[in-house]
Amino acid sequence: MSDKIKSGKEVIDEFFSEIYNVKNVDEKTIEALVSLYGKNKLTDTNIQNALDDLLQKELDKIEKDENEN
Amino acid sequence: MKTKIKSLAIKGIRGVREKFPLTLSGKSILIYGDNGAGKSSLTDSFEWLYYDQIGHLSNEEIGRRKGKDALRNIFINDKEDAFVEVAYSNSKLDCTKNIDGSLTVSTSNTTAEYEKYISNSSTENLILRYRDLVLFIIASKKEKLDTLQNIIGFSDVGSFRDTLKRNAGRIKRTINAENFNNKKGAQQSIILENLETNAYSPEQFIKAANELIKPLALGITIKSFKDVAKVLKQIESKDDSKIVDEISFQTKIEEALTEFEGNIDKLNKDYKKYFDAYTELRKDPDKFNKLKLLDLLNEGVSVLEDDVVKGDYCPLCLQEKNKLQLIKQLNKRIEELEELETEKTKLEEQNEDLKEFVKSNISTIDNLLRDKNLKEKENSEILKKIQEIKTTLNILATELKKELLAKVAIIEPNKIAFDKKGIVAFADAASKKVKHLADSQKKNTKLVIYSKLLQANLAYKAYRKIERQQDILTKQQTTFENLFTDFIKRQEQALNIFLKTFSKDINDFYTIMNPKEKVDDIKLVPLKDKNDDLVGISIEYNFFDETQRQPMAYLSESHINCLGLSFFLASVMAFNKENHFFILDDVISSFDRSHRARFAKLLIDKFNEYQIILLTHEKDFFELVSSDVKTKGWNIQQITWSVEKGTGVEKASVDSKGRIMKKFEDKNTDGLGNDIRIYTEKVLKEVAINIEASVPFKYNDINEKRMAPELLDSIQRRISDKSTELKTAADIPRIKGMPMFIGNTASHDNDFQASIEDFEVMWDDIGKLIKVFYCKDCNKFISTKNVDTVKNKIRCGCKDEKLNYDWKK
Repeated sequence: MSDKIKSGKEVIDEFFSEIYNVKNVDEKTIEALVSLYGKNKLTDTNIQNALDDLLQKELDKIEKDENEN
Repeated sequence: MKTKIKSLAIKGIRGVREKFPLTLSGKSILIYGDNGAGKSSLTDSFEWLYYDQIGHLSNEEIGRRKGKDALRNIFINDKEDAFVEVAYSNSKLDCTKNIDGSLTVSTSNTTAEYEKYISNSSTENLILRYRDLVLFIIASKKEKLDTLQNIIGFSDVGSFRDTLKRNAGRIKRTINAENFNNKKGAQQSIILENLETNAYSPEQFIKAANELIKPLALGITIKSFKDVAKVLKQIESKDDSKIVDEISFQTKIEEALTEFEGNIDKLNKDYKKYFDAYTELRKDPDKFNKLKLLDLLNEGVSVLEDDVVKGDYCPLCLQEKNKLQLIKQLNKRIEELEELETEKTKLEEQNEDLKEFVKSNISTIDNLLRDKNLKEKENSEILKKIQEIKTTLNILATELKKELLAKVAIIEPNKIAFDKKGIVAFADAASKKVKHLADSQKKNTKLVIYSKLLQANLAYKAYRKIERQQDILTKQQTTFENLFTDFIKRQEQALNIFLKTFSKDINDFYTIMNPKEKVDDIKLVPLKDKNDDLVGISIEYNFFDETQRQPMAYLSESHINCLGLSFFLASVMAFNKENHFFILDDVISSFDRSHRARFAKLLIDKFNEYQIILLTHEKDFFELVSSDVKTKGWNIQQITWSVEKGTGVEKASVDSKGRIMKKFEDKNTDGLGNDIRIYTEKVLKEVAINIEASVPFKYNDINEKRMAPELLDSIQRRISDKSTELKTAADIPRIKGMPMFIGNTASHDNDFQASIEDFEVMWDDIGKLIKVFYCKDCNKFISTKNVDTVKNKIRCGCKDEKLNYDWKK
């Protein structure tokens, strides 16, 4: 982080460019956030939907694994 | 290349009736006009062009349509267009914004480039009016933060930070409401009942399942869940389906009631906690009722700040009250109420959490109620119990919907307690029933094992699902919390860098206008609440070497205005990326002479690169700075207002000499005596400085108010001592005898009553006096800097000493 005055947009852009360096975070959640930010769709509803999707996919995966193994 | 204005024309807007053109050629302009001459019409036109509104016209009386109703000049007919036409340094941005008789607005430039320009400009600091000078200084700490965040585009940062915080909170609430550990416990108890051991991993489950099926000697070893399904299929018997259904139903009852029973303590505890906080806040209804005033107080501040009320009085009680003090008091009350609002928000969050938890339990119970077996007669008791639970949960949900300020308070916790004993009894009964059913079929080993494996398998799958759900949600929560922490650090660092740079500019500008005063080290300081959240910004400064945070408490009106002006100018420098011009509308009204002079110097020295449109109704200020700014290439203009034309341009004299000459040309004696006196005083000061003629000491700006007689006396004394030639040539007693110089300060505003011929004679005599001291070849006065100590002569700056007189050592 430099000592240059940054606009709000620059602060957020910089945060997203370094988001994978933040410790103890879930990569899939981060991917979902980065994708929404890239599409300029970072709203509460979109975040919740994306996280619910992630959760559902994981739960479906367990069921599939158990049925197949 | 930042944008400047080449020319503009206004027609039919506010006080401007006929077309009012201004040619600027990218240069700054000093505009003088009396009150009502139309200076504000010019500012209003810019405000409408860039911000699509006129703030001070958007009050209730005029109409909320951003002041459009009052925008058109009232004397133009409906068919005439009213417009602002601007030509810029970048001609691609040239535009005319028009408002017709039906108040329909149109713009001539519809290009994407212009649209982008206007959009970017709408967030820049382009206009400062006198009434807006101190808005930032007296704003609440939160308003200061919001203002700055808006200027630097940090509102997006704040909004993103809130998004991270809200989502972390939402996920946390879901985790709490789901009470995962309790759910997992309920499933494990079913597993334990059927497999006689707990199973937390697939390996543990498979091992226990193999133990369970051993008596059947199937010759199969279960290695996976696929094998479990195979075994279940193999040992399933259609004849036993009824009893298996019954066991499943009872197991479901047991599972749901055990899970619910595990939630009862949390429900009771959380409701009690909410009830206590709710009751505490209601204890002082007056205090709480005051929250209803928050909107009123905020509206009050905006009414005062928008200058809807012109005088110094309270618009509600109509009592006399200093407007700035009133705004400050209102902001203080707003801050107190905002603290109460925070308590209320906390309670609302508690309410949301509990609602979510109740909803999750209702969902579990509803799921149970949908089971067709509950309709059987033999299950009527358990149905009654489950319905009883649902009713109590519904009561709880209804209570949680009650508003904080509702007339009737929420029900006391002991009146909605759940029958925990009864629920446990029903869960036990269901468990016993399962056992009894299994025992009744003891001989049917296949059925018993099938039933146990089926229930255990379902319970383990549910357990795994709950565990995974808990794991994922916890990870998501941690992720958002960690992202929030990281982002807060970045936001704070960026804000601190900005505040440091910005504070330095404010401090520099303020101290240029107020040198050698005991106010310095002005800075903007971020404020945090007890949760370490950024809640506002405060102005901090050193006052007599002590840190203070209340500008209103220690600084005079003029100094507070200086601070406001410094803030605006620092904002211009820091954030105006698109435009290189700004408008200052009558901003120096409360300044004394020395502040005015330093303000002009600040503009000339620090903002020379900018195009400044400086409007004033102060004749003194206009006189003071016009010569200085003229030498820097500024345009100078005077505007007047007439019924026929509205606002119009009057060719302004660049200085008082030009104005005097024009009055002689027009045979206009109006104010001519005063103009000649002002001009003479100005020249006499130069003479006195150059020949070192002393006048008695006076403090600061009083020092500036030297009258002509006093200056003439001192010059006379000096030249009498030093130069016979000068004394004779100047003939000061004759000038001193002029009627306009016989008087005192009080007579200044009263022009000497004389004919134009009288003035011509006086002007001629004053011209002769000036010629004695001033060399038109080198444009310099004779000066003690040019004293020839060998020849004992004082002279002008010419090499050939065109103007020289004897000068005693």
